[in-house]
Amino acid sequence: MREPSSAPPPGANPYIPVPFRVSGRRRETADTVTLRLRSPTGDSLPFKPGQFMMLYVFGVGEVPISVSGRPRRADILEHTVRAVGPVTRRLAALRRGDWVGVRGPFGQGWPLALAEGFDVLLVAGGLGLAPLRSALLQILAQRDRYRRVTVLYGARSPADLLYRLDLTRWQQRPDLELRVTVDRADERWRGQIGVVPALIAQVERQFEPTRTVALVCGPEVMMRFTVRELQKRGVPDDLIYLSLERNMKCALGLCGHCQFGPAFICKDGPVMPFSRLAPFSEIREL
Amino acid sequence: MSDHTPAEILGSHPFTADLSDEDRAQLAKLARLGVYDPDDYLLREGQPATAFYLIVEGLVSIELFIPGHGPRPLQTVEGGSAVGWSWMLAPSRWEFDARALERTTALILDGERLRDLFVEDCCLGLRIAHRLLFVVAERLKAARLQLLDLYGPPREL
Repeated sequence: MREPSSAPPPGANPYIPVPFRVSGRRRETADTVTLRLRSPTGDSLPFKPGQFMMLYVFGVGEVPISVSGRPRRADILEHTVRAVGPVTRRLAALRRGDWVGVRGPFGQGWPLALAEGFDVLLVAGGLGLAPLRSALLQILAQRDRYRRVTVLYGARSPADLLYRLDLTRWQQRPDLELRVTVDRADERWRGQIGVVPALIAQVERQFEPTRTVALVCGPEVMMRFTVRELQKRGVPDDLIYLSLERNMKCALGLCGHCQFGPAFICKDGPVMPFSRLAPFSEIREL
Repeated sequence: MSDHTPAEILGSHPFTADLSDEDRAQLAKLARLGVYDPDDYLLREGQPATAFYLIVEGLVSIELFIPGHGPRPLQTVEGGSAVGWSWMLAPSRWEFDARALERTTALILDGERLRDLFVEDCCLGLRIAHRLLFVVAERLKAARLQLLDLYGPPREL
Protein backbone atom coordinates (compact mmCIF):
# COMPACT_ATOMS: atom_id res chain seq x y z
CA MET A 1 0.00 0.00 0.00
CA ARG A 2 1.33 3.45 -0.94
CA GLU A 3 2.08 6.02 1.65
CA PRO A 4 -0.49 8.81 1.68
CA SER A 5 0.96 11.67 -0.31
CA SER A 6 1.65 15.01 1.26
CA ALA A 7 -0.60 17.96 0.52
CA PRO A 8 -0.58 18.88 -3.18
CA PRO A 9 1.35 21.99 -4.14
CA PRO A 10 -0.67 25.20 -4.52
CA GLY A 11 -2.46 25.32 -7.82
CA ALA A 12 -2.18 21.56 -8.30
CA ASN A 13 -5.91 21.15 -7.79
CA PRO A 14 -7.38 23.45 -10.43
CA TYR A 15 -10.71 23.62 -8.58
CA ILE A 16 -9.27 25.12 -5.41
CA PRO A 17 -8.38 28.81 -5.33
CA VAL A 18 -5.03 29.73 -3.79
CA PRO A 19 -5.30 32.71 -1.43
CA PHE A 20 -3.33 35.76 -2.56
CA ARG A 21 -3.19 39.20 -0.99
CA VAL A 22 -3.39 42.49 -2.80
CA SER A 23 0.09 43.97 -2.39
CA GLY A 24 -0.31 46.91 -4.72
CA ARG A 25 -2.92 48.75 -6.70
CA ARG A 26 -2.44 51.24 -9.50
CA ARG A 27 -5.26 53.19 -11.06
CA GLU A 28 -4.94 53.11 -14.84
CA THR A 29 -8.10 54.93 -15.94
CA ALA A 30 -11.42 55.98 -14.40
CA ASP A 31 -12.71 52.40 -14.43
CA THR A 32 -9.57 50.28 -14.66
CA VAL A 33 -6.94 49.31 -12.11
CA THR A 34 -3.92 47.05 -12.08
CA LEU A 35 -3.70 44.82 -9.01
CA ARG A 36 -0.50 43.29 -7.79
CA LEU A 37 -1.18 40.05 -5.93
CA ARG A 38 1.23 38.23 -3.71
CA SER A 39 1.07 34.95 -1.90
CA PRO A 40 1.75 35.51 1.81
CA THR A 41 3.23 32.03 2.08
CA GLY A 42 5.38 32.37 -1.02
CA ASP A 43 3.19 30.04 -3.05
CA SER A 44 3.74 30.47 -6.74
CA LEU A 45 1.63 29.97 -9.83
CA PRO A 46 4.09 29.95 -12.75
CA PHE A 47 2.42 31.33 -15.86
CA LYS A 48 3.15 32.25 -19.44
CA PRO A 49 2.20 35.57 -21.04
CA GLY A 50 -1.25 35.25 -22.58
CA GLN A 51 -2.57 32.79 -20.00
CA PHE A 52 -5.32 33.78 -17.58
CA MET A 53 -6.26 33.20 -13.98
CA MET A 54 -9.69 32.81 -12.42
CA LEU A 55 -9.86 35.51 -9.75
CA TYR A 56 -12.31 34.84 -6.96
CA VAL A 57 -13.73 37.62 -4.82
CA PHE A 58 -14.89 35.75 -1.74
CA GLY A 59 -18.66 35.70 -1.45
CA VAL A 60 -19.15 37.47 -4.77
CA GLY A 61 -17.91 35.38 -7.66
CA GLU A 62 -15.13 34.44 -10.00
CA VAL A 63 -13.97 35.93 -13.32
CA PRO A 64 -11.25 35.12 -15.86
CA ILE A 65 -8.57 37.82 -16.03
CA SER A 66 -5.41 37.70 -18.14
CA VAL A 67 -2.04 38.15 -16.52
CA SER A 68 -0.59 41.50 -17.46
CA GLY A 69 2.77 41.32 -15.68
CA ARG A 70 6.03 39.66 -16.53
CA PRO A 71 6.40 36.05 -15.45
CA ARG A 72 9.65 36.75 -13.66
CA ARG A 73 8.34 35.89 -10.22
CA ALA A 74 5.47 33.48 -10.08
CA ASP A 75 4.56 34.44 -6.51
CA ILE A 76 3.67 37.93 -7.74
CA LEU A 77 0.81 38.33 -10.18
CA GLU A 78 -0.36 41.44 -11.98
CA HIS A 79 -3.87 41.71 -13.33
CA THR A 80 -5.51 44.68 -14.99
CA VAL A 81 -9.21 44.80 -14.22
CA ARG A 82 -11.90 46.97 -15.73
CA ALA A 83 -14.92 47.50 -13.46
CA VAL A 84 -17.90 46.57 -15.60
CA GLY A 85 -19.96 44.11 -13.53
CA PRO A 86 -20.54 42.93 -9.97
CA VAL A 87 -17.35 40.85 -9.67
CA THR A 88 -15.00 43.14 -11.56
CA ARG A 89 -16.34 46.16 -9.68
CA ARG A 90 -15.46 44.45 -6.41
CA LEU A 91 -12.07 43.37 -7.74
CA ALA A 92 -11.28 46.88 -8.87
CA ALA A 93 -12.25 48.20 -5.45
CA LEU A 94 -9.89 45.87 -3.54
CA ARG A 95 -7.27 47.55 -1.38
CA ARG A 96 -3.83 46.61 -0.24
CA GLY A 97 -4.08 43.68 2.18
CA ASP A 98 -7.40 42.34 0.84
CA TRP A 99 -7.66 38.67 -0.09
CA VAL A 100 -8.33 37.18 -3.54
CA GLY A 101 -8.65 33.52 -4.48
CA VAL A 102 -6.64 32.58 -7.54
CA ARG A 103 -7.04 29.50 -9.74
CA GLY A 104 -4.77 28.92 -12.66
CA PRO A 105 -2.93 29.58 -14.81
CA PHE A 106 -5.16 28.37 -17.61
CA GLY A 107 -5.09 28.19 -21.36
CA GLN A 108 -2.50 28.64 -24.09
CA GLY A 109 -0.25 31.71 -24.02
CA TRP A 110 1.40 33.76 -26.76
CA PRO A 111 3.82 31.80 -29.01
CA LEU A 112 6.94 33.64 -27.85
CA ALA A 113 9.27 30.72 -28.56
CA LEU A 114 7.92 30.47 -32.10
CA ALA A 115 8.44 34.21 -32.57
CA GLU A 116 12.16 34.01 -31.78
CA GLY A 117 14.13 35.11 -34.85
CA PHE A 118 11.03 36.75 -36.32
CA ASP A 119 9.74 40.31 -36.54
CA VAL A 120 7.05 40.67 -33.88
CA LEU A 121 4.03 42.87 -34.34
CA LEU A 122 1.81 43.38 -31.29
CA VAL A 123 -1.58 44.95 -32.02
CA ALA A 124 -3.72 45.93 -29.04
CA GLY A 125 -7.10 47.58 -28.73
CA GLY A 126 -8.41 48.88 -25.42
CA LEU A 127 -7.97 46.47 -22.54
CA GLY A 128 -6.38 44.07 -25.03
CA LEU A 129 -3.08 45.70 -24.15
CA ALA A 130 -3.15 43.87 -20.79
CA PRO A 131 -2.26 40.35 -22.01
CA LEU A 132 0.04 41.83 -24.63
CA ARG A 133 1.90 43.83 -22.01
CA SER A 134 2.88 40.56 -20.37
CA ALA A 135 4.23 39.30 -23.71
CA LEU A 136 6.02 42.56 -24.46
CA LEU A 137 7.74 42.67 -21.07
CA GLN A 138 8.99 39.16 -21.68
CA ILE A 139 10.16 40.03 -25.21
CA LEU A 140 11.98 43.13 -23.98
CA ALA A 141 13.67 41.12 -21.25
CA GLN A 142 15.05 38.82 -23.99
CA ARG A 143 15.19 41.45 -26.72
CA ASP A 144 18.10 39.88 -28.63
CA ARG A 145 16.01 36.80 -29.43
CA TYR A 146 13.66 38.76 -31.69
CA ARG A 147 14.04 40.87 -34.83
CA ARG A 148 12.12 44.14 -35.14
CA VAL A 149 9.42 44.64 -32.52
CA THR A 150 6.48 46.93 -33.24
CA VAL A 151 3.58 47.75 -30.94
CA LEU A 152 0.35 49.29 -32.23
CA TYR A 153 -2.10 50.38 -29.57
CA GLY A 154 -5.53 51.93 -29.92
CA ALA A 155 -7.68 53.29 -27.10
CA ARG A 156 -11.01 55.03 -26.83
CA SER A 157 -9.55 58.41 -25.81
CA PRO A 158 -6.35 59.79 -24.27
CA ALA A 159 -7.92 59.35 -20.82
CA ASP A 160 -8.37 55.63 -21.53
CA LEU A 161 -4.72 54.88 -22.25
CA LEU A 162 -3.36 52.15 -19.98
CA TYR A 163 0.16 51.82 -18.56
CA ARG A 164 1.19 55.43 -19.20
CA LEU A 165 4.57 55.01 -17.55
CA ASP A 166 5.27 51.94 -19.67
CA LEU A 167 4.16 53.76 -22.82
CA THR A 168 6.60 56.57 -22.08
CA ARG A 169 9.42 54.10 -21.48
CA TRP A 170 8.60 52.07 -24.57
CA GLN A 171 8.44 55.24 -26.68
CA GLN A 172 12.02 56.04 -25.67
CA ARG A 173 13.47 52.63 -26.57
CA PRO A 174 15.41 52.61 -29.83
CA ASP A 175 14.76 48.90 -30.28
CA LEU A 176 10.96 49.19 -30.21
CA GLU A 177 8.55 50.99 -32.52
CA LEU A 178 5.41 52.12 -30.69
CA ARG A 179 2.42 53.80 -32.34
CA VAL A 180 -0.55 54.93 -30.31
CA THR A 181 -3.89 56.12 -31.60
CA VAL A 182 -7.22 57.03 -30.04
CA ASP A 183 -10.74 56.95 -31.42
CA ARG A 184 -11.59 60.40 -30.17
CA ALA A 185 -9.83 63.33 -28.55
CA ASP A 186 -10.05 67.05 -28.09
CA GLU A 187 -7.68 69.61 -29.53
CA ARG A 188 -5.21 69.21 -26.65
CA TRP A 189 -4.21 65.75 -27.89
CA ARG A 190 -1.18 65.98 -30.17
CA GLY A 191 -1.08 62.36 -31.20
CA GLN A 192 -2.88 60.22 -33.74
CA ILE A 193 -6.66 59.89 -34.01
CA GLY A 194 -8.01 56.90 -35.86
CA VAL A 195 -8.44 53.16 -35.55
CA VAL A 196 -5.67 50.72 -34.77
CA PRO A 197 -5.95 48.55 -37.93
CA ALA A 198 -5.11 51.67 -39.96
CA LEU A 199 -1.74 51.90 -38.19
CA ILE A 200 -0.55 48.75 -39.93
CA ALA A 201 -0.14 50.68 -43.20
CA GLN A 202 2.14 53.12 -41.39
CA VAL A 203 4.57 50.43 -40.25
CA GLU A 204 4.38 48.01 -43.17
CA ARG A 205 8.02 48.63 -44.03
CA GLN A 206 9.03 47.63 -40.54
CA PHE A 207 8.11 43.98 -40.79
CA GLU A 208 8.76 41.26 -43.33
CA PRO A 209 5.34 39.63 -43.75
CA THR A 210 6.43 36.01 -44.07
CA ARG A 211 8.87 36.38 -41.15
CA THR A 212 6.47 38.12 -38.81
CA VAL A 213 4.52 36.78 -35.88
CA ALA A 214 1.53 39.01 -35.15
CA LEU A 215 -0.02 38.99 -31.67
CA VAL A 216 -3.43 40.62 -31.62
CA CYS A 217 -5.80 41.31 -28.75
CA GLY A 218 -8.83 43.56 -28.53
CA PRO A 219 -12.52 43.66 -29.39
CA GLU A 220 -13.38 41.06 -32.03
CA VAL A 221 -14.32 43.61 -34.70
CA MET A 222 -10.97 45.32 -34.23
CA MET A 223 -9.19 41.96 -34.51
CA ARG A 224 -11.17 41.06 -37.65
CA PHE A 225 -10.10 44.26 -39.42
CA THR A 226 -6.56 43.86 -38.15
CA VAL A 227 -6.36 40.33 -39.58
CA ARG A 228 -7.50 41.64 -42.97
CA GLU A 229 -4.79 44.30 -42.98
CA LEU A 230 -2.18 41.70 -42.08
CA GLN A 231 -3.44 39.27 -44.72
CA LYS A 232 -3.35 42.03 -47.38
CA ARG A 233 0.34 42.42 -46.67
CA GLY A 234 1.02 38.71 -46.80
CA VAL A 235 1.32 37.70 -43.15
CA PRO A 236 0.35 33.99 -43.14
CA ASP A 237 -2.72 32.97 -41.13
CA ASP A 238 -0.67 30.55 -39.04
CA LEU A 239 1.56 33.41 -37.87
CA ILE A 240 -1.33 35.62 -36.79
CA TYR A 241 -2.32 34.87 -33.19
CA LEU A 242 -5.45 36.24 -31.58
CA SER A 243 -6.51 36.19 -27.95
CA LEU A 244 -10.20 35.46 -27.76
CA GLU A 245 -12.58 36.35 -25.01
CA ARG A 246 -15.50 34.09 -24.20
CA ASN A 247 -17.69 33.37 -21.22
CA MET A 248 -15.25 31.20 -19.28
CA LYS A 249 -16.54 29.49 -16.14
CA CYS A 250 -14.75 26.29 -15.21
CA ALA A 251 -11.56 27.20 -17.12
CA LEU A 252 -10.91 23.49 -17.58
CA GLY A 253 -12.74 22.71 -20.80
CA LEU A 254 -15.54 20.90 -19.00
CA CYS A 255 -18.53 23.18 -18.72
CA GLY A 256 -18.71 24.26 -22.37
CA HIS A 257 -19.53 27.91 -21.69
CA CYS A 258 -16.62 29.10 -23.82
CA GLN A 259 -17.01 26.69 -26.72
CA PHE A 260 -15.99 28.10 -30.11
CA GLY A 261 -16.60 25.54 -32.83
CA PRO A 262 -14.72 22.42 -31.77
CA ALA A 263 -12.49 24.35 -29.35
CA PHE A 264 -12.83 25.45 -25.77
CA ILE A 265 -11.36 28.91 -25.46
CA CYS A 266 -10.36 28.33 -21.83
CA LYS A 267 -8.30 25.26 -22.65
CA ASP A 268 -7.38 25.49 -26.37
CA GLY A 269 -7.15 29.30 -26.23
CA PRO A 270 -7.43 32.06 -25.33
CA VAL A 271 -4.51 32.52 -27.71
CA MET A 272 -5.00 30.72 -31.00
CA PRO A 273 -3.59 31.05 -34.53
CA PHE A 274 -5.99 32.54 -37.04
CA SER A 275 -5.44 29.51 -39.29
CA ARG A 276 -7.32 27.52 -36.68
CA LEU A 277 -10.04 30.11 -36.20
CA ALA A 278 -10.58 30.97 -39.87
CA PRO A 279 -13.02 28.14 -40.69
CA PHE A 280 -15.33 29.41 -37.95
CA SER A 281 -14.73 33.12 -38.20
CA GLU A 282 -17.53 33.64 -40.73
CA ILE A 283 -20.13 31.88 -38.56
CA ARG A 284 -21.82 34.84 -36.93
CA GLU A 285 -23.48 32.94 -34.10
CA LEU A 286 -20.22 31.57 -32.68
CA MET B 1 12.53 66.20 -47.33
CA SER B 2 12.02 69.94 -47.90
CA ASP B 3 15.21 70.05 -50.01
CA HIS B 4 13.86 67.49 -52.47
CA THR B 5 12.25 68.50 -55.74
CA PRO B 6 8.55 67.79 -56.36
CA ALA B 7 9.55 65.16 -58.93
CA GLU B 8 11.73 63.36 -56.38
CA ILE B 9 8.99 63.46 -53.78
CA LEU B 10 6.43 62.12 -56.24
CA GLY B 11 8.83 59.29 -56.97
CA SER B 12 8.90 58.15 -53.37
CA HIS B 13 5.45 59.10 -52.07
CA PRO B 14 3.17 56.03 -51.71
CA PHE B 15 0.35 57.80 -53.54
CA THR B 16 2.35 58.36 -56.73
CA ALA B 17 5.43 56.14 -56.51
CA ASP B 18 4.07 53.48 -58.86
CA LEU B 19 2.91 55.92 -61.56
CA SER B 20 5.00 56.10 -64.73
CA ASP B 21 7.82 58.62 -65.01
CA GLU B 22 5.73 60.43 -67.60
CA ASP B 23 2.70 60.70 -65.31
CA ARG B 24 4.83 61.95 -62.44
CA ALA B 25 6.54 64.50 -64.68
CA GLN B 26 3.12 65.91 -65.59
CA LEU B 27 2.11 66.13 -61.93
CA ALA B 28 5.42 67.67 -60.92
CA LYS B 29 4.65 70.67 -63.13
CA LEU B 30 1.62 71.44 -60.96
CA ALA B 31 3.30 70.89 -57.62
CA ARG B 32 5.04 73.00 -55.06
CA LEU B 33 6.31 72.25 -51.58
CA GLY B 34 4.66 73.61 -48.45
CA VAL B 35 6.05 73.52 -44.90
CA TYR B 36 3.73 74.03 -41.93
CA ASP B 37 4.56 74.68 -38.31
CA PRO B 38 2.46 73.11 -35.53
CA ASP B 39 -1.06 74.61 -35.50
CA ASP B 40 -0.73 76.08 -38.99
CA TYR B 41 -3.78 75.34 -41.13
CA LEU B 42 -3.33 73.61 -44.46
CA LEU B 43 -6.93 74.37 -45.36
CA ARG B 44 -10.05 75.72 -43.71
CA GLU B 45 -13.71 74.84 -43.93
CA GLY B 46 -15.68 77.02 -46.35
CA GLN B 47 -12.67 78.31 -48.27
CA PRO B 48 -12.19 77.47 -51.97
CA ALA B 49 -10.68 74.01 -52.39
CA THR B 50 -7.86 74.81 -54.75
CA ALA B 51 -5.27 72.17 -54.01
CA PHE B 52 -4.55 68.53 -53.36
CA TYR B 53 -2.08 67.76 -50.56
CA LEU B 54 0.30 64.83 -50.46
CA ILE B 55 1.60 64.71 -46.90
CA VAL B 56 5.32 64.00 -46.99
CA GLU B 57 6.23 64.23 -43.31
CA GLY B 58 4.43 65.21 -40.15
CA LEU B 59 0.94 64.80 -38.77
CA VAL B 60 -2.24 66.60 -39.80
CA SER B 61 -5.52 66.76 -37.92
CA ILE B 62 -8.77 66.73 -39.91
CA GLU B 63 -11.22 68.62 -37.73
CA LEU B 64 -14.37 70.66 -37.48
CA PHE B 65 -14.81 73.87 -35.54
CA ILE B 66 -17.76 73.73 -33.17
CA PRO B 67 -18.90 77.16 -31.94
CA GLY B 68 -18.63 77.35 -28.20
CA HIS B 69 -16.35 74.30 -28.06
CA GLY B 70 -13.51 75.01 -30.45
CA PRO B 71 -11.86 72.63 -32.90
CA ARG B 72 -12.99 69.01 -32.71
CA PRO B 73 -10.36 66.66 -34.20
CA LEU B 74 -11.87 63.73 -36.09
CA GLN B 75 -8.96 61.85 -37.66
CA THR B 76 -5.27 62.37 -38.22
CA VAL B 77 -3.29 61.83 -41.39
CA GLU B 78 0.39 60.88 -41.38
CA GLY B 79 3.19 61.38 -43.83
CA GLY B 80 2.65 59.10 -46.83
CA SER B 81 -1.04 59.80 -47.16
CA ALA B 82 -3.15 62.44 -48.91
CA VAL B 83 -5.45 65.22 -47.74
CA GLY B 84 -8.33 66.85 -49.59
CA TRP B 85 -10.59 65.73 -52.40
CA SER B 86 -13.01 68.67 -52.47
CA TRP B 87 -11.01 70.26 -55.32
CA MET B 88 -12.42 67.47 -57.53
CA LEU B 89 -16.03 68.05 -56.57
CA ALA B 90 -18.15 71.13 -57.32
CA PRO B 91 -18.54 73.63 -55.75
CA SER B 92 -14.96 72.95 -54.62
CA ARG B 93 -15.04 74.28 -51.09
CA TRP B 94 -13.39 72.62 -48.11
CA GLU B 95 -15.81 70.95 -45.74
CA PHE B 96 -13.38 70.45 -42.85
CA ASP B 97 -10.26 72.06 -41.45
CA ALA B 98 -6.83 70.47 -41.74
CA ARG B 99 -4.30 71.61 -39.12
CA ALA B 100 -0.69 70.56 -38.67
CA LEU B 101 -0.09 68.95 -35.28
CA GLU B 102 3.65 68.85 -35.76
CA ARG B 103 6.01 70.34 -38.31
CA THR B 104 4.60 69.06 -41.57
CA THR B 105 5.80 69.01 -45.14
CA ALA B 106 3.30 68.60 -47.97
CA LEU B 107 3.44 68.55 -51.71
CA ILE B 108 0.69 70.89 -52.91
CA LEU B 109 -0.80 70.18 -56.32
CA ASP B 110 -2.85 72.91 -57.98
CA GLY B 111 -6.45 71.63 -58.08
CA GLU B 112 -7.68 73.61 -61.08
CA ARG B 113 -4.74 72.63 -63.23
CA LEU B 114 -5.13 69.04 -62.09
CA ARG B 115 -8.74 69.03 -63.27
CA ASP B 116 -7.66 70.47 -66.64
CA LEU B 117 -4.93 67.85 -66.88
CA PHE B 118 -7.43 65.07 -66.25
CA VAL B 119 -9.62 66.36 -69.09
CA GLU B 120 -6.61 66.31 -71.42
CA ASP B 121 -5.37 62.94 -70.19
CA CYS B 122 -8.35 60.88 -69.01
CA CYS B 123 -6.23 57.81 -68.35
CA LEU B 124 -4.06 59.72 -65.87
CA GLY B 125 -7.24 61.18 -64.36
CA LEU B 126 -8.60 57.68 -63.86
CA ARG B 127 -5.39 56.49 -62.25
CA ILE B 128 -5.41 59.39 -59.80
CA ALA B 129 -9.16 59.02 -59.14
CA HIS B 130 -8.65 55.34 -58.38
CA ARG B 131 -5.94 56.14 -55.84
CA LEU B 132 -8.05 58.85 -54.34
CA LEU B 133 -10.99 56.46 -54.05
CA PHE B 134 -8.74 54.11 -52.09
CA VAL B 135 -7.88 56.95 -49.68
CA VAL B 136 -11.55 57.90 -49.33
CA ALA B 137 -12.53 54.26 -48.72
CA GLU B 138 -9.88 53.81 -46.04
CA ARG B 139 -10.90 57.05 -44.35
CA LEU B 140 -14.59 56.04 -44.47
CA LYS B 141 -13.84 52.58 -43.07
CA ALA B 142 -11.92 54.13 -40.20
CA ALA B 143 -14.75 56.59 -39.52
CA ARG B 144 -17.29 53.74 -39.42
CA LEU B 145 -15.16 51.77 -36.98
CA GLN B 146 -14.75 54.86 -34.80
CA LEU B 147 -18.53 55.20 -34.71
CA LEU B 148 -18.82 51.70 -33.23
CA ASP B 149 -17.08 52.85 -30.03
CA LEU B 150 -15.42 49.45 -29.79
CA TYR B 151 -13.66 50.21 -26.53
CA GLY B 152 -16.80 51.40 -24.77
CA PRO B 153 -18.23 49.56 -21.76
CA PRO B 154 -18.28 45.78 -22.42
CA ARG B 155 -20.76 43.24 -21.12
CA GLU B 156 -21.01 42.89 -17.36
CA LEU B 157 -18.93 40.37 -15.44
